[in-house]
Amino acid sequence: MLVQTQRQIATLLTAVVVTAMSGCGQSGFDSHFVSSDKTESLIKEAQNGVGDLPGVNELVSDRFGTPQQLNAWMKLPVDFGGVSGSVSAAPEASIAVEELSLKFDGEVIQVDSEPLLVQFVTGAAAPAVVEIKRWSAEKGVASLTAAMETLPAEGDTVILNGGSHLKTGRQLYMRHCSHCHGTSGDAAGPTAEYLNPRPRDYRHGVFKFTSTNAQSKAARDDIRRVLQNGVPGTYMPSFVPMLKDNELDIVVEYVRFLALRGEFERRLVSELAPDYSKDAMANRMASGETRSEVVNDLKEFLAEDLQDSIEGFMDGTNGLATVWTNANLPEATITPDAARVPNSAESRRIGRELYLSKAINCADCHGIGGKGNGPQTTIFEKNVVTETLYPEPGLHDVWDNVNQPRNLTLGIYRGGRRPIDLFCRIQAGIKGTRMPSFKNLKHEDIWHIVNYVLSIPFEPEPGKGPTPAPAAATTP
Amino acid sequence: MATVSPAIESHSDDHSHGNDHGHGHQQSFFYTYLWSTDHKMIGKQFLITTMIMMMVGGALALAVRWQLAFPWQNMPVLGPVFKLFLGEGGQISPEFYTMLFTMHASVMIFLVIIPILAGAFGNFLIPLQIGADDMAFPVLNALSYWFMWPAIACFGTSFFVGGATAGPAGGWTSYPLLSALQEAAPGSGAAQTFWLMGLTLVGVSSMMGSVNYMTTIINMRAPGMTLFRMPLTIWSMFITAILQAFALPVLTAAGFMLLTDRIMGTCFFVPAGIVVNNAAPTIGGGQPLLWQHLFWFYSHPAVYIMLLPAMGMVSDMLSCMSRKPVFGYKPMVYSMAAIAGLGFIVWGHHMFTSGMNPALGMTFMTSTMMIALPSAIKTFNWIGTIWGGNVKFNSVMLNCSGFVAMFIVGGLSGIFMAAVPVDIYFHDTYFIVAHFHYVLFGSTLFGVFAGITFWFPKMFGRLMNDTVAKWHFALTFIGFNGTFFPMHLLGISGMPRRYADPYLHPYLEHLLPMNQFITCSAILMGFAQFLLLGNFLYSMYRGEKCGRNPWGANGLEWSAPSPPGHGNFDVPPVCYRGPYEYSSPEAGALNQDFILQTEVPPDMSKIATAETAATA
Amino acid sequence: MKKFWALFFFFWPAVAFWSCWIARSRGWWFPASEDNPLGLAMSPLGQQIDGLFYLILGIVAVVFVGTQFALGYALWMSATKEDSKPAHYSHGSHSLELIWTIVPAFVLVFIALYQMNVWAEFRVQSYFPNETKEDGPKLEVTARQFEWRMRYPAPGQVLSNQPQAGDLYAVNEMHVQTGRPVKFNLRTGDVQHAFFAPQLRVKQDAVAGLIIPVWLEVPKAGKYDLVCAELCGWGHYKMRATIVAEPKEKVEEYLRNLEQEQNFDGVAPAAAEE
Repeated sequence: MLVQTQRQIATLLTAVVVTAMSGCGQSGFDSHFVSSDKTESLIKEAQNGVGDLPGVNELVSDRFGTPQQLNAWMKLPVDFGGVSGSVSAAPEASIAVEELSLKFDGEVIQVDSEPLLVQFVTGAAAPAVVEIKRWSAEKGVASLTAAMETLPAEGDTVILNGGSHLKTGRQLYMRHCSHCHGTSGDAAGPTAEYLNPRPRDYRHGVFKFTSTNAQSKAARDDIRRVLQNGVPGTYMPSFVPMLKDNELDIVVEYVRFLALRGEFERRLVSELAPDYSKDAMANRMASGETRSEVVNDLKEFLAEDLQDSIEGFMDGTNGLATVWTNANLPEATITPDAARVPNSAESRRIGRELYLSKAINCADCHGIGGKGNGPQTTIFEKNVVTETLYPEPGLHDVWDNVNQPRNLTLGIYRGGRRPIDLFCRIQAGIKGTRMPSFKNLKHEDIWHIVNYVLSIPFEPEPGKGPTPAPAAATTP
Repeated sequence: MATVSPAIESHSDDHSHGNDHGHGHQQSFFYTYLWSTDHKMIGKQFLITTMIMMMVGGALALAVRWQLAFPWQNMPVLGPVFKLFLGEGGQISPEFYTMLFTMHASVMIFLVIIPILAGAFGNFLIPLQIGADDMAFPVLNALSYWFMWPAIACFGTSFFVGGATAGPAGGWTSYPLLSALQEAAPGSGAAQTFWLMGLTLVGVSSMMGSVNYMTTIINMRAPGMTLFRMPLTIWSMFITAILQAFALPVLTAAGFMLLTDRIMGTCFFVPAGIVVNNAAPTIGGGQPLLWQHLFWFYSHPAVYIMLLPAMGMVSDMLSCMSRKPVFGYKPMVYSMAAIAGLGFIVWGHHMFTSGMNPALGMTFMTSTMMIALPSAIKTFNWIGTIWGGNVKFNSVMLNCSGFVAMFIVGGLSGIFMAAVPVDIYFHDTYFIVAHFHYVLFGSTLFGVFAGITFWFPKMFGRLMNDTVAKWHFALTFIGFNGTFFPMHLLGISGMPRRYADPYLHPYLEHLLPMNQFITCSAILMGFAQFLLLGNFLYSMYRGEKCGRNPWGANGLEWSAPSPPGHGNFDVPPVCYRGPYEYSSPEAGALNQDFILQTEVPPDMSKIATAETAATA
Repeated sequence: MKKFWALFFFFWPAVAFWSCWIARSRGWWFPASEDNPLGLAMSPLGQQIDGLFYLILGIVAVVFVGTQFALGYALWMSATKEDSKPAHYSHGSHSLELIWTIVPAFVLVFIALYQMNVWAEFRVQSYFPNETKEDGPKLEVTARQFEWRMRYPAPGQVLSNQPQAGDLYAVNEMHVQTGRPVKFNLRTGDVQHAFFAPQLRVKQDAVAGLIIPVWLEVPKAGKYDLVCAELCGWGHYKMRATIVAEPKEKVEEYLRNLEQEQNFDGVAPAAAEE
């Protein structure tokens, strides 16, 4: 009795307090996706659209939604979750359709507060989304809240509550990831600026540590492995057992969704940037065009050329959908020709020779002793895109961060310490960084190098004996 | 009869000097309200400053509670007012949470509890209760207040100097290496440096105060005010001042060592070869545990610095409101002295799981168990004081009873932690949080609330509204227990402290509803403090006017005008008896249940009995 | 109104007492699970600690009820008596002071002495269980911001304080043998952390520059939580790991799998050799 009363009081108090406090706190501010610097380098009209024609921001948000209302854009090679099914009987054409016969591959669970949403994936009705008022499992008939305008045909595929992975993914992402990786996956969360190295910015669509060959994107398993093992030597921790198995999958999908969103935005911008960036505008105005002429040009471009390009972004051999899907195929995965060469002193000696050889020249970056202090670490590099010198010396990655070569004496391997991990690092390089792909190297030679690299923490020069161990105190 | 101070001649000189001032000239606004060297004004300055800081610390606490009850949800005020975390929709970052509890503790301990007891009440009461016209070193006294402001400024700067969302985040204990290495956390950069400077400045302020209190209490007592006729408030202030004078230098030194570790690379606390956030490996040679020893060598006595004055004040008020002498005056004094003495050899109980030599764990356990003894004696004596009294159920009495009731809980829960094996489990869980809030808030702040109400008439010549004060007591008491009692249970459930999101751990998930209940109670408690502030401000100007002695109390301060003028007393007071002769036969001879310490003995034949009683 | 306030001071300790009384049934007690609904300690040492806890709880409960009742009763007496009746004039009682000095002193000394053995067994190396002395440390647990990294010696090898070529690494998962005390070395890679296994009642700080030997014994196979209990930065709350207790053979099998996984070269599927 008392317990119940106490609980009721607590609930009541909570309710009052929450409404009171959130009332003054929440006034119209939600998390949002931010547009990239690149988008912001475009002229206003290209960013926000002219007249009815959508600009970059709208083109992106139309397809991907906002954090509160994420879109499951079916073109994306992302597993959006939900229960798939199909139309089991085509409705009669004569009447306004308020009931639909459907069958689902999985169980349909209706929770009181949550509406059931059915999206048409194929057929004439696609991509319409209808809301189910009542679902009768025995009859397989759904009563809809509103009549449908376009009629589906028998066999059309549908997805029930599609995008549930996005919803869960976002919740998990906001709780575990966003304070470093940012709501948009732009590595601009509040904690990010204090971390060294900086967290990954997904929007390039580039992930460093993959098991796929040099040209391929990251496979699902690659992202998953990073979540499971963390990235040793950085602030990326292991998320097991914090995330359960299925939650890991969902986070992986959400991260891929953010990466695709970022890449889609980048591709749009790269179409527009040559003619419609702020710089281009200045140049064109300097060469005699007026602002309205440029904007008219833009209108035309947005209305016609860009529409065609967008189709190409997703499909086609280089389309986003294709490359992200292909990364998961066995062909994309690196498989050595031969098993690892036995880790013998001889193998390590060959490895050391290769490491120092002119052709491969690992020491140029990693240093002769493997301390990550080769001559390349002190040069001033040029930014490939802007062609200006970076302010700091050292190697830089595509995210414009200094990214010095690994100190191999520490025994910390960010991409994993299995021989295959090191093999992949050498064979495919580390994507987005100056660690190149040595894909023409014989696999046997790669194994020699792997054997050598793995021995560096214990014996920097094969045959010269181990490094002296620094003393550490032991308590009584 | 104890010795009358040989300096009695010079005392009377002082008084006439003081009186000259009082009647002489009007001081300008600047000298009256800002750079005042009058102990009463300095006391009031301290009181009002600390009350403002209390609201700041309370707001930080509510923010902490918000996150624990509604993890990662849009935090009120922060976004709309401070424009923080807009991109995340008001979801705070974990380092912001660590900043919140760090600064809550720092503000409450260093800017509220220590200065409100020693600074506000110590300053106001010491000269009045011992019959002096002012402190021994008035300018030093003013400096001790004005050193608080640079400290507040440093703490304030530390909120944003390292980045708007990265305030100091090492916890108030600031254990290295988290606090020693700039790269170790977002808040370990400039923010931590400013925090340490603030800490040092608070220390300087306290040190000036404690030197002053010791000198004043030893040298400036009125004729007849022997040591064992001093009110327990004065005893507690005296013991506190000694504690502070001996313990504080250690913290100041440790603070400087940490500062030099951070700024000059000295490595007192930093061992070799540590890589944090991929910065260069540390040079080393130091020991992180050294900081813990030095820090707790101050901070454990500091707990008593934060408690003893309240104990003394509550003894005074309980006796007055029960119309009955304090039960066992001398045991009270001795147990305070014992607490102070033992307080120096128990610091290690904060470090049972720290990896120090386990043999030390055993000695510290024994000494810690022993320190419970004087606390127990005091508790029994307080109850003995109320027992058989003629209790006035006003807000002062209620707050004092609240103090006793809460102190019992805080004391008893301490026994669990004093026992090393049990502490293995309880260390750094919410059980600890519950324990020290019962001691520091439950005891000290209820004592302070009582003290504010009790001495308000002496400060401003007006009474505070008792009904509002009772409401304030009731709401605070309910909110307090609703907040902190369940925390014992959280601790037993194994919920560690300083977790931004405990619910990531399945064994803690079911504690969310309890945390929400706690947060609601905390909000109730927080908002109840507006009653205190409102009552305080209103009564300052509109309260019922009162005479010199509205409570019928005995202390010397009640023989002075309300509020006392410059120099405090009309005539230099002479003390004839102990401070707690309520309902004594002597008082009965005057047909009242109190008799001022300055009251000339009404009937010569009765003096002998009264004195034996007072010194017994 | 006087009586109300006196009752007020009777009432709240009653609520407090009641909330402790029901706490266990409401799940506000030692961490419980389906296998362990009462939240018992899952290690022999933990059971001793719990025993000491309940001993202190008993003593404390008696004192709590006694003192709070005395306080309430003192107020109640005053609230019910006539105002005109003067207070009892007394400066105290020497014999009472003696009693309430000596009795608590005995109780406190008793509590202190009674605890020593358990503490010694947990922390003083010469009192460690013999098995841990024979076996030596089984693994090294390194806390770092913000995860737990385990290092096992290669099967058949002895753990060395310095990493060895064949060492096996794991993250956030610690496998220990059931039914035998297991010693491990605790250290930190960066700032201070604390190894806290709530169900096993084990807690030990990991201090930079020190390697601290810790032991634990888990009689029952199962998964137990491992969390951090010393503020270590913004991700303090994220340091969640699992202690997997299982029979010796299972631990060995786990280590074999770990070895295989760690030597995986992408050609021979790791499972094929099993």
